[in-house]
Amino acid sequence: MISPLTTRGFLLLIGGVFLFTWFGLVVLPWIYLGHLAPIQDEGSSDITPWDASGAAHQGEHIYAADGCVYCHTQQVRPANSGADIIRGWGTAKDESDDKAPPIIRRTYPRDYIWQGQVFLGNSREGADLSNVAERFTDAASLYRYLYDPYILNPHSSMPAYRFLFIERKISGLPSQDALALTGDDAPPAGYEIVPSDEARSLVAYLLSLKKNYHLPDEKGPVPAPPDKS
Amino acid sequence: MATSPTIATQGYTSTDPELAAIDASVRWPVMACFLTAVHWMVVGTFFLVYASSLAHPQDTFPILGLFVSLSDNFSMFTYGRIWPAAVDTLVYGWATTGGLGLAIWILARTCRTPVRSPATLMTAIVFWNLGIATGLIGIFLGDSNSVELLEFPAYAAWTLWLSYVLFAVWAVVTWLGRRPGHDHVAQSWLLVALFSFPWLFGGGSVLLDGKPLAGSGVIQELISAWYVHGLYTLWFAPLGLALLYYLIPKMSGLPIRYGTKTQAAFWTWIIFAPWTAVHDLVGGPFPAETVTTGLVLSGLIFLPVALIGMNLVGTAFAAEEKHGHHGGIVFPFLTLSAVCFVLAGIAEQILSIRSANELLRFTMFRECNFFLWLYGFFSFGLFGAIYYIVPRLLDFSWRSSALIRAHYYFSLYGILLVIAMVGFGSVVQGETLESPDPLVTITIADQNALNFHIASTVCISLIAIGSGIFALHLGWMLLNCINIRVRANRLASEILHEPYEPEGPAGASPAPGTAAAKKEVAA
Ligand code: HEC
Repeated sequence: MISPLTTRGFLLLIGGVFLFTWFGLVVLPWIYLGHLAPIQDEGSSDITPWDASGAAHQGEHIYAADGCVYCHTQQVRPANSGADIIRGWGTAKDESDDKAPPIIRRTYPRDYIWQGQVFLGNSREGADLSNVAERFTDAASLYRYLYDPYILNPHSSMPAYRFLFIERKISGLPSQDALALTGDDAPPAGYEIVPSDEARSLVAYLLSLKKNYHLPDEKGPVPAPPDKS
Repeated sequence: MATSPTIATQGYTSTDPELAAIDASVRWPVMACFLTAVHWMVVGTFFLVYASSLAHPQDTFPILGLFVSLSDNFSMFTYGRIWPAAVDTLVYGWATTGGLGLAIWILARTCRTPVRSPATLMTAIVFWNLGIATGLIGIFLGDSNSVELLEFPAYAAWTLWLSYVLFAVWAVVTWLGRRPGHDHVAQSWLLVALFSFPWLFGGGSVLLDGKPLAGSGVIQELISAWYVHGLYTLWFAPLGLALLYYLIPKMSGLPIRYGTKTQAAFWTWIIFAPWTAVHDLVGGPFPAETVTTGLVLSGLIFLPVALIGMNLVGTAFAAEEKHGHHGGIVFPFLTLSAVCFVLAGIAEQILSIRSANELLRFTMFRECNFFLWLYGFFSFGLFGAIYYIVPRLLDFSWRSSALIRAHYYFSLYGILLVIAMVGFGSVVQGETLESPDPLVTITIADQNALNFHIASTVCISLIAIGSGIFALHLGWMLLNCINIRVRANRLASEILHEPYEPEGPAGASPAPGTAAAKKEVAA
């Protein structure tokens, strides 16, 4: 087999090939992207992107443990590569100015620098979640959705995450964040359904997912907003 | 059809006494690998059917209501845990454990040395399996990392890595002690596999397990892509190819077709194939140069795939023609494995075309690819190998050729239908997901893909039935074998205590388990 090489030559060559791939796929991009820093906004102490809260970072673990990444991506490809922009997954409201047009853009490496674990994902059974906090703006609606996604779409293949919630007896006043459930989902009288700590951090994480700022990485023309007529 | 005398007495060990001695020395480690692998295959296939049925809405089949309500209410059964558990069980429990068995056997045979220190190997195998079991428990209890194919929590990953290193030390010692002049092309493939696994798994685990490099951002995904595709192209592919390059000529008695191309095939594969990693990066937040370079390099994968196809599929078809009847009962598994390798190569080639990649990037094409690699190419090779090797190790035959045929046809139609369904479905899904119409939503894409998901669940169940037949057959064979050995031993000891009978068939030296003793039992 090893002819015409010697054993050592053969092993060295294999090692070289391994290193070559490693270098090209990992080390070079690492040199290039490993030191990305947030951008300091002019005239203020704000930085973009900003770091999410501690609860949101906790939520990454729940996102990982329950495998949301097997159905959801968190990456918006540029307009010339796939239809992510057309699907509206790159759209965020520009909060700095009410009259400003929405920010519509792909995601850049700099968007991910604060995340402890990055979940770009490889499968789109469900929607891209890069900007999910633009579509669900409050925790209550997300709790509701995670508890029973079949309300929005009875044939949905989004699984329900009831195990992230606790059913308990109401003692005294009902909790503020008890889910407002009706129909089949409603708990028995005298009981309420509240999010567990895990649900809270997961939702805090989801609410941190929005790319509603501009980055200097954006080059070229800003894509036109999708025409939803 | 159970134990006709011919089945019980025919010798299955190699006619070459040297090889027979080597087979005897690896018997227990290889059997341990195969048996635990088959056990994981059964478990993993069950998880896979379960997970696959969760991927469509609860109202598809009535029984799904139960599955879905389990998964809604208990974290253990949620899709995001069952699916990685299924994939990891199949990848590590079934394919890798079985692959280790293969590696031991091929290495010992091609190096022409009996195994030294089987105890080391057995220790490695025991800890390897413990590692997998811990990893699965970890996933179910919510310790999964959700890093593709590295979901096992760190504690399990380290157990696996250490057991592998133990195994690798054994392998290197065996290889260094090989008898000169017995170099075989299968060895180069085997060596690549043996070296790549600790490199990939160590690198992946260190960098991604438990606490992924904080602040490293998208680098994590680059490492993950490098790992996943490395595992396919530098671990499974070389292992399976080592097997095919060894067994196809051996079983058919034909030399490898275009044998002068084996070296070129080898080097082009290990240089180009790992770059398929960039198929997971196209359009993502990565340096454009990495993706472009990677697509160019992985686009050259057709070279090794064509050469290997000429070598293996060419030889396999020639053998089927020469021997008629598809070359026997077991040989078709190897042919199918070689064909699936080429198909998997074509799938990778398709993904390295940018526009095709953009279309298929987030669809179920990924599943199609997984099935091709793991179920199509690797599992069929492993099935064929187990059918071939186990009788030689135990000196005992399979019980029924009908069962082997049934396994073959269930798997054949299962895998072909899965690939057709999922492949076609991914185009439909991709066309919807990438539709230029802004009114198209993910809900519509899911609706369009739904029937293909259902079809693929049904086809996976076909494969599962085939695998179940295989597992039962193996169990039946073992029980029979043990049973006959025990009876033979008892008989032998009875004969030993009887007065000497010179003309008796077992009179000469009825050592336990010899052909003579078995003849007694069978008669
Ligand atoms: C089996 C695949 C699957 C898994 C796992 C999954 N989802 Fe989903 N998800 C979906 C699908 C499909 C939809 C779209 C549902 C529809 O069309 O009704 C969706 C939709 C959503 C939406 C609404 C998005 C939008 O913008 O409309 C959110 C939020 C969401 N999922 C969060 C999660 C979270 C958090 C997890 C993990 C705990 C998760 N999903 C796991 C399949 C999945």
